[in-house]
Amino acid sequence: MSSFFKGRKPKKNRQRDAENQAAVQSEDHIQESLSANLDVIRQKTGNSSDIVVRHLKMGRNSDVKSAIVYIEGIVNNQSIQEFLLQSMMKVDDKEKLNRDDALELISEDMMSVGNVSSFNTWEDLFLSLMAGDTLVLVDGIAKVLSACTKGGEKRAISESTTQMVVRGPKGAFTESIDTNTSMVRRIIKTPDLWMESLKVGRVTKTDVTLMYIHGIANDQIVKEVRQRLNKIDIDSILESGYIEQLIEDQTMTPFPTIFNTERPDVVAGNLFEGRIAIFVDGTPFVLIAPAVFIQFFQSAEDYYVRYDIATSVRLLRILMFFISLIAPATFVAVTTFHQEMVPTTLIVAIAAQREAVPFPGFVEALLMELTFEILREAGIRLPKAIGSAVSIVGALVIGQAAVQASIVSPAMVIIVSITAIASFATPSFDMAISVRLLRFLFMIGAATFGFYGIILILLMMVVHLCSLRSFGVPYMAPFAPFTPVNNGDTFIRLPWWTLRQRPRLISANTVREGKNQRPGPPASRGMVNRDFKEGGNNEA
Amino acid sequence: MKHKLVFLIVLMTIPVLLSGCWSKKELTDLAIVAAMGVDKTDDGKYLLTLQIINPGNVAGGMRGGGGSQSPPVTIYSATGDNMVEASRRASSKASRRLYYAHTNLVVVGENLAREEGLTTFIDAIDRDHEFRVTTTMVITHQTTAEELVKTLTPVDKIPANKVLKTLEFSQKKWGESIKTSVQEVMTDMQSPDEVSVVSGFRLLGNPNHASQLGNIQESEPESILQASGIAMIKEGKLVDWLYGGAAKGTVWILDEIQGTTINIDWKNKKEAIAYQTVRQKTKVSGQLKNGQPSISIHTRVEGSIGEMNVPVDITDVKVISRMEEEVEKVIKKDIKKAIEQAQTNKADIFGFGEEIRRTRPDDWKRLKPMWNDVYFPELKVDITVEAYIRQAGLRNKSFLSTIEENQ
Amino acid sequence: MEKAKISASQLFILMVLFELGSALLVPLAIDAKQDAWLAILLGMVFSFVLLLVYHQLYWYYPDLLPTEYMQKILGKVAGTVLAFLYLFFFMYDASRVLRDFGEMLLTFAYPETPLFIANALLILVIIYMVRKGIEVIARSGELLFILMFSLSVVGFILIVSSGLIDITNLQPVLEEGIAPVLKVVFTQTLYFPFAEVFVFTMILPYLNNPKKVRLTMICATGLSGINLILTMLINISVLGVDLTARSQFPLLSTVQTIQVADFLERLDVFFMLALVIGIFFKISVLFYAAVIGTASLFKVKSPSRLAYPLGLVVLFMSMTIASNFQEHIHEGLKLTMYILHLPFLVVIPILLLFVAFLKNRKKKGKT
Repeated sequence: MSSFFKGRKPKKNRQRDAENQAAVQSEDHIQESLSANLDVIRQKTGNSSDIVVRHLKMGRNSDVKSAIVYIEGIVNNQSIQEFLLQSMMKVDDKEKLNRDDALELISEDMMSVGNVSSFNTWEDLFLSLMAGDTLVLVDGIAKVLSACTKGGEKRAISESTTQMVVRGPKGAFTESIDTNTSMVRRIIKTPDLWMESLKVGRVTKTDVTLMYIHGIANDQIVKEVRQRLNKIDIDSILESGYIEQLIEDQTMTPFPTIFNTERPDVVAGNLFEGRIAIFVDGTPFVLIAPAVFIQFFQSAEDYYVRYDIATSVRLLRILMFFISLIAPATFVAVTTFHQEMVPTTLIVAIAAQREAVPFPGFVEALLMELTFEILREAGIRLPKAIGSAVSIVGALVIGQAAVQASIVSPAMVIIVSITAIASFATPSFDMAISVRLLRFLFMIGAATFGFYGIILILLMMVVHLCSLRSFGVPYMAPFAPFTPVNNGDTFIRLPWWTLRQRPRLISANTVREGKNQRPGPPASRGMVNRDFKEGGNNEA
Repeated sequence: MKHKLVFLIVLMTIPVLLSGCWSKKELTDLAIVAAMGVDKTDDGKYLLTLQIINPGNVAGGMRGGGGSQSPPVTIYSATGDNMVEASRRASSKASRRLYYAHTNLVVVGENLAREEGLTTFIDAIDRDHEFRVTTTMVITHQTTAEELVKTLTPVDKIPANKVLKTLEFSQKKWGESIKTSVQEVMTDMQSPDEVSVVSGFRLLGNPNHASQLGNIQESEPESILQASGIAMIKEGKLVDWLYGGAAKGTVWILDEIQGTTINIDWKNKKEAIAYQTVRQKTKVSGQLKNGQPSISIHTRVEGSIGEMNVPVDITDVKVISRMEEEVEKVIKKDIKKAIEQAQTNKADIFGFGEEIRRTRPDDWKRLKPMWNDVYFPELKVDITVEAYIRQAGLRNKSFLSTIEENQ
Repeated sequence: MEKAKISASQLFILMVLFELGSALLVPLAIDAKQDAWLAILLGMVFSFVLLLVYHQLYWYYPDLLPTEYMQKILGKVAGTVLAFLYLFFFMYDASRVLRDFGEMLLTFAYPETPLFIANALLILVIIYMVRKGIEVIARSGELLFILMFSLSVVGFILIVSSGLIDITNLQPVLEEGIAPVLKVVFTQTLYFPFAEVFVFTMILPYLNNPKKVRLTMICATGLSGINLILTMLINISVLGVDLTARSQFPLLSTVQTIQVADFLERLDVFFMLALVIGIFFKISVLFYAAVIGTASLFKVKSPSRLAYPLGLVVLFMSMTIASNFQEHIHEGLKLTMYILHLPFLVVIPILLLFVAFLKNRKKKGKT
């Protein structure tokens, strides 16, 4: 971790120099005088009230002046108390101390904290101070000790709220990157689980950790991800969405080309498919790259329940995807262009409903879809208590009043409701939201050219999807290009014993299971071979 | 790169927006034509009668139950020298665009069919992309197409549906009518013998009353529509009607029968036993003997006994086989009647010539020119019928036989 | 040439889509009456010979586009002229298919729409795809192939289950003997759609596995031939010979007759969409060949820049080649046969192969 960061340091220093030339005047090294150092710290932080400076006097004659500096709130007060202050203020230790070897003594004898390091530049000092370390400065020494005392309030691990499952682990990531990486580490117990950390964001200095399994992930993709991360030059990273939009292959697309999740088991599963996870401090959403289209329709639970159930549920989701994409468009096309396709009785029924509606079919559909989108957005943003009020009003407005006022026809209400419900069935929010957008495009196509418009937009969409890549991997893999062995885990999910291969275009090492994993009872218990005594009979 | 993309998007949206939806037809602007009647006027023009659905009165369950005040269909009619002209002229009466894609029924007036024939106007239906090729065609019997189309019918609110359903179920249960689509009629008339069959329909009752709402407000409607006979079309023109046994025989030979009842005489009592058919299959094959064509028809029918008006003991196997023989005789008689009538009209409605063409294409070339006039009327037809009684309902002996024993 | 590779299976799919393309639409080989299927079958078998000729040419120059190896075989000037003619041929063919498509659209669903708009919208999507390159074309082909085939299987099931098929319409076989059938084979089916795959020689150099080319080409032609035969068999057995011959688009007329379960009716518009896919790829492949060939002939560095201008050319050509559909069909069946198909798809490739054979033998002799 540190080696990687050091590699980057010179460049960063240069930038910093250029910016702050007037203020710091190339004084990037810590001075010997304690008071001067403390002054610099106060000045640089603008006398911020949460910076705590505690003066200590050590040495035989209490002549060694020293100070402890930390930031209130992001440090673990208990460990400062127990492992720093108490041990440093102990009388007998104080005696030994003298000016020259003070720092060595403090670090070796007094500080009973795990991770202690020393530096002599201001940049390192502030980096470590802001990260929640405690600094020990001694008068007369142009060096500073930093003890790792990161801490403060954290959210406890709680149940996932965005990707819920009935069966499967419940814990979701939190905002703390260390907690998050450790959760995955706890699942995958191998030294091959490699992590690379770097700080992104000129001002925020956000911790970003790259995680992959060495030997399974494709080195070239790892290199590509690393390169793209290093290229980022932005002042702040507040959420992994920043990173996602800065490293994706193409931004001019409604489709997400990087997957995100807040479930450790999903991260682990993807790591085993050769993908790379990008953890960002401050958000529970972990990025996973490269992503393929079908991945957005796979839920973690698919792998935990039995294959026949998983397959049918997945097929249902694909159906829902298409319904939410083209149901309103199809309705518009059929009622304004292709009335001959509908059975006579049905078209008469629809026509009867539409007799009093003043709008053309397309406007009616647009009106309803917009109303629904407004309701949905309002429902998300409002506090929970008021949210339910919105849904009541919405149900009344959409369901009853609009129909009775002859603004929309009941058939359109049905179509919009089906579409809405179907759009909730896509497991990935990112995909669902892009479908919401595309739906309007399809409706415009249907309104101008009926089915021809729909098929033109569908063709455009397919061509666009096929032209997308995620970190060099074709987005529509394994359908196009077609990889037969990897199709066992796409629209369908075959039993685990048949899924012997990892995705070929993503992973470097494709074999994941031994042969003959097919479960079966021991031969002696079956109907055949009843007399076969030797083999596999565990029962005495 | 970016301005190119914008250019592409602009280029794509402009035609879409400019297009302004040429072929768009809003539902509220459509007059859905359910049935179309074609007649010939005295001055030689076509009279087009269109039955247009009033959606609100047919499906208006939700907005305060419509249907009672106004009729489910509205009739517009117009004359013209050809179909397209008449149809366009009708537009001047209708407030909406006439929409023919749901026209499931074409009614041809008997006069038109007899004098001018079907061939002259059928092209308009065939060519127009809106018309369904599966549209059913019927010929009016002793009435005009206009009167038939105007008639309001109870139960099935749309009269066109009533006609279609009547045809369908009478073909399934009675077997004296046949549902033919415009396309089938056309294909038949293209075949070398240029002969076809179309079901007939008639209006019973008062034509003037039939189109009034009062007709469907009575429990016993004064005027009703009824399937009636099969029209024999030769060279596009109506030449003769087939009724009763002959009609049934025709349907038998065409292998279109889907179920019928056959009454047989028993112990001197006329039509004493009703036999219901369940499965039937007719095969027609053609041969050539000494240069003379001959046809053999083989019909196989399975069915059950539906009713016995005379005391019969059917536990006796011999009785059953005698009954089967009787059934065979009746069917054979029907078929023979149909063939005789076709032969007198020199109209090969059964496609015997087509059968010969398929099996003996070389000889057909020789027979073809004189088929309808010489060979068909003289054609020797060999009919074999196999009838089987598989079930006899819930009882074996009739309860009449117990009454008889008691006496 | 762009730096891209496609696999043998992608080539297979593109070829099948290409050959089905507009051939599914028209009453193919209907001049042979109920023996149309036989004419298609024979056309397919004879086209294998032509395929071998095309393949052998590719084998001599596996890394070169035909526009390039024509110059090697015939010399700079003659080769360039010939290559230019071929480019024109591809573009003309593309505009013909585009016209077919537009006419179908107008006839069946959008009678009031101007032909220009219908064609323009499709060619815009095609330009969009061709600009993305052969890899995207091939991948989109894979996805849409599945859609098209599942639709046609559904269609087949619907036709069979609505009991429309009347096998007797196909009898008698060879009513007039074999001669009319052979005439249809050598004037129609051999070239359209089978020999038209000559355009794929423009794509063969992108293949990542040259050894599989021959088998792939033959299998693809075989599969599409079988599909066309099945289609024509169904058309004739449902509609009868006369109606099929009178129909401008018999497959759609067949679909119109489907009536299942009282609510699946008038599905022609729906199945038109399946046909759009085939046509889309046929035009795309022809157009791509024209674009890539022009780029190589005139040394244009990025071929995608040519997509817009050439697309407009195809669009306007599709509008101007005929003033009505009947004229268009007449040109397709009678004129292009002798002026374009016979020389460009049969005579010239065979001559090229002959010259190439002599040249290569000489070379071998020397070394």
